[in-house]
Amino acid sequence: MNTKSALFKEHMVELRLFGVLLGLMVVLSLISDRFLTVDNLTNVLWSVCLIGIMTTGAIYAPITGGIDLSVASMAALAGILANVFMNTLGMNWIVAILITLVIGAGIGWLNGVVTTKFLVPAFIVTMAAKTYLFGVAMLVSNGDQITIMEPAPFLQIGIGKLLGIPIPIYIMFTLVILSHILLKKTVFGRRTIAVGANEVAAKLTGVNPDRTRIIVYTISSVTATIAGIVMASLTQQAYAMNATGYELDVITAIVVGGTSLMGGSGSVVGALIGAVMVGFINNGLNLLDMPSAFHPIATGIVILVALIMNQGVSVPAVLKKWFARPGAAEAAK
Amino acid sequence: MSNNVKSDLLLECRGIDKNYNGPQVLSKVDFSLRRGEIHALVGENGAGKSTLIKIVTGITNRNAGTIVFDGHDVPVEHNKNASEKLGIAVIYQELSLIHGMTVAQNIFLTKEPLLPGLPFIDIKKMNAMAQEMIEKYGFDLKATDIIDKLPIAQRQTVEILKALSNKASLMIMDEPTSSLTAKESERLFKIIRMLKAEGITVVYISHRMEEVYDLSDRVTVLRDGKLVSVLEGEEITPAEIIRLMIGRELTEDESHHKMVDKRDREVVLEVKNLSAEGKLNDVSFKLHKGEVLGFGGLVGSGRTELMRAIYGIDAFDAGEIMYLGKTYSPTVEKSIASGFGFVPEERRLQGIMGGISITGNIGIANLDSISSPAGFVSRDKELERTQTAISTLNIKPANPDHLVGNLSGGNQQKVVVGKWLIRDLKLLIVDEPTVGVDIGAKEEMYQTIDRLSREGVAVMVVSSDLPELTRLSDRIIVLRKGRIIKEFTEGVVTEEEVLRAASGIVEGGAK
Ligand SMILES: Nc1ncnc2c1ncn2[C@@H]1O[C@H](COP(=O)(O)OP(=O)(O)OP(=O)(O)O)[C@@H](O)[C@H]1O
Ligand SMILES: [Mg+2]
Repeated sequence: MNTKSALFKEHMVELRLFGVLLGLMVVLSLISDRFLTVDNLTNVLWSVCLIGIMTTGAIYAPITGGIDLSVASMAALAGILANVFMNTLGMNWIVAILITLVIGAGIGWLNGVVTTKFLVPAFIVTMAAKTYLFGVAMLVSNGDQITIMEPAPFLQIGIGKLLGIPIPIYIMFTLVILSHILLKKTVFGRRTIAVGANEVAAKLTGVNPDRTRIIVYTISSVTATIAGIVMASLTQQAYAMNATGYELDVITAIVVGGTSLMGGSGSVVGALIGAVMVGFINNGLNLLDMPSAFHPIATGIVILVALIMNQGVSVPAVLKKWFARPGAAEAAK
Repeated sequence: MSNNVKSDLLLECRGIDKNYNGPQVLSKVDFSLRRGEIHALVGENGAGKSTLIKIVTGITNRNAGTIVFDGHDVPVEHNKNASEKLGIAVIYQELSLIHGMTVAQNIFLTKEPLLPGLPFIDIKKMNAMAQEMIEKYGFDLKATDIIDKLPIAQRQTVEILKALSNKASLMIMDEPTSSLTAKESERLFKIIRMLKAEGITVVYISHRMEEVYDLSDRVTVLRDGKLVSVLEGEEITPAEIIRLMIGRELTEDESHHKMVDKRDREVVLEVKNLSAEGKLNDVSFKLHKGEVLGFGGLVGSGRTELMRAIYGIDAFDAGEIMYLGKTYSPTVEKSIASGFGFVPEERRLQGIMGGISITGNIGIANLDSISSPAGFVSRDKELERTQTAISTLNIKPANPDHLVGNLSGGNQQKVVVGKWLIRDLKLLIVDEPTVGVDIGAKEEMYQTIDRLSREGVAVMVVSSDLPELTRLSDRIIVLRKGRIIKEFTEGVVTEEEVLRAASGIVEGGAK
């Protein structure tokens, strides 16, 4: 009984989120009869896949108390580079992907090194990376929307299906499972959480916070690269603006999923549910023909609400306290 | 509301209940304070002392009960601001002072004197006002000192001044002496008596019975969240308090433990001419198998710095460390892999990871023994290790999933020590190991250290608690200004001897 209730407690956040998600789906299907169509759901799936893949790696930075803002630029650049390697330089597609991954890892490593060794806050470092990676992407692609026509196996990554299910879904779930195991079951996961919970204490118990952080930012960049490759293949396009703004969706998904930006805890499964929710919210706005300006507004509100919920304070109690202040009554009059 | 008629009770709590959405932490506790008394609040770790204080100061809210402060009913939805307005002040050790600001800025924060007619702070006036207060009480401070540069004892006096400037009528001190040396504690007691003379009521939580005995007019004893007794005058004796606290007699064993010469045993660690700019000056000593080597000295004497250098946290400039006969250039990771354990000085900043469970805290120091070569952690092994630590040091509540930040102070300390005690150690370094730990648990910790030393573990103990140092040590080295100034190797050392050496009064020997 004890282990059962403990298990339940451990997954409370995820279960609660799942409930909210189901509620959201019900609301959306009531609002729009286009919502529950195969076409629409497939559409949502694509964006969820890309955000979902990115969150599996990007989640580690918040767990250490940091953040990675460069994932979207990294993804766009990855698609452009892969295309250059395959179609300009004529490399085999597998080799091209591997080289792109190595470059992605290198950039993440650099982010990690600058934050840890030169003591620049991760926020600034990855913001700079976001900017310069975008610049490089523009430079390499000439700012063009390049259509990727070949090679065929490369295009299958995005549009191919296995047993009727699109391949990106397999990629996403594989990464979610790997990332979940990495966080919950491995020494590295423990160390990441410890660094976020109390860096000094972690250090004095044998954790190397710098090394841990460098690995964290490397992983983040690698999953962004994977997402970029999937995106290029899926859209058959290499374009510097392809993922613009995705980093906010990724952070929203992570935060909505119950990971605190203060560090010390996190849930990969929660972030996945968060990614699905972000996808649905954007989709819902589209279905309602809301102007695109509403997307950032909705995203912002969702982040705030999620953060408030994750603080564990009860909103009614806060309101009650607020109105119970001496003077509040007079002020209200 | 009972108006105007001032009763002689400043605070009256009745039937206080508290649970943090879990087990009952306080049940039906009555607690009252007379005006102008020094009142000690005692009890074992987790008895609910800090919780009771937090309820009075509005940091947390009670589930039931009534509180009357100075004739005012205190509502359940109490908060910190309201309690400050009522004149209740809590003296934290450093938490509430703002680093980077001066003493005067901290004292007058949010109530700075302004230049006449202008929205700017009158810095000159503010400094003068602060200096005047400092001189009135004869504190060893300057209004323009930056907080960061002050030792803990002086930060406390800044807290007290801040409270005085708020016209506090009740000052609450939760374990104020736990990181003070004997001399600094004495100074604090003088201040407390001065406050009393001004008519201020002082509540004082401590695990040091002699202090309670010397200082308090009345003592409230809590056990397992219940009021056991309120003692007054003649009734206050250390033995009686302890009996009431733990519910049984504490069997007195040889607390003046004799030193044992173990210098003929195998050398585990040898430090040769270790120097670090401004911290350590030509320190040399040997540590032997199964030996407990105590380090005495005042705060700032270099004891902590020496331990940190040996463990590999801070670099040193010159000298050599030999471990098991080989030159050793320490890093924390290497030290842990070589069988070191290290309990740091400051629990909150360096010891605990408050946001994660007991299991998480214990596991992180034992990753090597609970994981496979491929890097996978065995949840079962981790839990088993945690259970061992919980039962060895009697951590309460004995729930591995409990967040360490929600444990009582003493139990947090047990977690910090416990994560090392379950390892296969060769060398254990403990810096103020029993800060905030109650008297019974302290004895358990001493016995564990005794057992480790019998099993051959070499131990280095830094402690400002002199009875603790003499109780544990086989040999005592006294540091002063980064140098070894005295070594006690035989017989029974008295606390006074250690203190005299630490203060630089040494007969013969090194200068
Ligand atoms: N925020 C919290 N959430 C849950 N339980 C808590 C919380 N704070 C304290 N407790 C529990 O309440 C009990 C009393 O804790 P409290 O801190 O009042 O003890 P204490 O008497 O001050 O002990 P110590 O001498 O160790 O400081 C403990 O069992 C502790 O685990
Ligand atoms: Mg306490």
